[in-house]
Amino acid sequence: MTISQADHIRKAIAERSNRPFIVKVGDWVRDKPEGGIAVMFILVQLACIIGSLLFPDVFRYLLPANISVVLKSIAVPGIMALGVGILMISGEFDLSVGAQYSLLSIICAEVSNSFMGDISADPASSLAPFMGMIFALALGVLIGMVHAFITLRFNIPSFITTLGGMLFWKGMTLLVHGSSALRFKPSEPFATLFGGEVGIVHASMIWFILFAVIFYFFLHHHRIGNHLFAVGGNRNAAVAIGINPVRTKTIAFALAGFMAAFSGIVAATRVGSIQPGGGLGMELQTIAACVIGGFALNGGRGSILGVVLGTALVFTIQDVLLLLRAPAFYFDMFVGGLIVVAVVMNSAIRRARA
Amino acid sequence: MEPLRPIDNAVNDDRPAARPGADETPLYEVRDVTKKYGSFIALNKMNFRIKPREVVGLLGDNGAGKSTLVKMISGINPPTSGEIFVGGKKTSIRNRADSEAAGIETIYQDIALVDSMSITRNIFMGREITDRFGFMEHKKMRDMAVEILGSAVQISGIDDPDKEVGFLSGGQKQAVAIARAVHFKRNILLLDEPTSALSVRETEHLLAYVRDLKADGTSSVLVTHNLYHAFMVCDRFVVMSHGTKVFEADKKDTTIEELTDHVIRT
Repeated sequence: MTISQADHIRKAIAERSNRPFIVKVGDWVRDKPEGGIAVMFILVQLACIIGSLLFPDVFRYLLPANISVVLKSIAVPGIMALGVGILMISGEFDLSVGAQYSLLSIICAEVSNSFMGDISADPASSLAPFMGMIFALALGVLIGMVHAFITLRFNIPSFITTLGGMLFWKGMTLLVHGSSALRFKPSEPFATLFGGEVGIVHASMIWFILFAVIFYFFLHHHRIGNHLFAVGGNRNAAVAIGINPVRTKTIAFALAGFMAAFSGIVAATRVGSIQPGGGLGMELQTIAACVIGGFALNGGRGSILGVVLGTALVFTIQDVLLLLRAPAFYFDMFVGGLIVVAVVMNSAIRRARA
Repeated sequence: MEPLRPIDNAVNDDRPAARPGADETPLYEVRDVTKKYGSFIALNKMNFRIKPREVVGLLGDNGAGKSTLVKMISGINPPTSGEIFVGGKKTSIRNRADSEAAGIETIYQDIALVDSMSITRNIFMGREITDRFGFMEHKKMRDMAVEILGSAVQISGIDDPDKEVGFLSGGQKQAVAIARAVHFKRNILLLDEPTSALSVRETEHLLAYVRDLKADGTSSVLVTHNLYHAFMVCDRFVVMSHGTKVFEADKKDTTIEELTDHVIRT
């Protein structure tokens, strides 16, 4: 009797692995939250490609210049969204990543510039931009850990901690630098490493892909990634089984800070100057991208593929609206609608299966 | 609930602290443990022991302190004062890692599973099989999960270890939790109201399984409201009320009626 039960399961598994490929894809789309968004992403891409083939003069979606712009606009929020997403899986939020993005890129630029890291300095230090970057990344990790400490030590919602953080670090940015734009034209090889291009692919996109791969293995295949899901999905169960929620969540907060700093530095390198208010609103955009990609607001659910697809979909749509010369408010309206539709779709799928 | 007052009529409580040779060394023993939540006393100078190869029935009405005691033994709720002995040696059990080292596994009343994770990941949660860099070996865990699901309790309708636990029924979830605890237990299995979500057939299987475990040398503590279930498998009964022990007897020395009486009256 006991043997037959395991054999029964094995037989069922074997039957499932023998499904035709098309059925497997269909089941994946139906079962996974990122499956639906993948379909939507492909449909949007197909529509854009067909549109640009039909009306090549009006809708220049397939022009290399446009593809380059799309990739660039996805990469920076995508890098930030990876950290935001990991934190969301652990059941916490960081509303301050936009403020950190501005503050830490400014600190990186200040450090770099004051050690002759500007490309026009004579002699230009090739090391200074890296020093600035390492310092800013370390600060990002530290800020994340401070948020984690306050949230977990005093057992308050991270929504509140990081709402406070958002205002605090925004103020800190103005205190450190003032409200003027800051030049950041780093020396080589930093400039090429973070601002160069391979064909139409900007370095920021390569970093995004690299981080997405690293985070994929970390989140879905590493023990700590598994703990993030456990702590976010059911904190009491995780504690009962011996997972330390404080340690796990602190790692997630630190990663969110690190990625906010990294995305800020990459964006600053690309643009060549930093606006102190540049990151405002990005915290909500990245949370929106994660939610569209199938993340649960209360934690425990989400995937790296979801972050990538969510970000890609949001910023593809932004690009399409720009190409159509639509006013900017259409973008907000569209993303707003998309968030709600995505969540309604996901919970309808879950109800249908339960 | 009536106000808390010390209860002095604890039976069998004048036992000397150690009785070398008089009896088998208990696998696990707590002496005079007290657990306070602020001013509320959840456990009051409780004495409790688990001997090798026995099934202890822990009985008592709601709020008697049974779950508090179970959470203490399983390490997630360390005592305010008192001593814990594992295998006769004084031991500090302050967290889950300590109790795991002592070979204790627990099946919780509120089923400690994560709904958004797969069955396999729930079984190995916190005990992932990994390579030396901490990366999980999915295939190994999956194959073992199939074995575990197949061997522990008959679980009706589970045929996919990758299925999300949130899609299982209450009984199936409980069965997964039981399968997990049974797989990892080494000395002592704590079952906190394990049958509340199970069907009659699943309950029979579980109780039979507890008896099998005893034959294999694993002691169990069964916390339950159901005295008939308790009487079917337990060798010894401990009745709690207001955070302390009010009655203790071997199965051969007592009856269901007497136990019921103690649960109701105290």
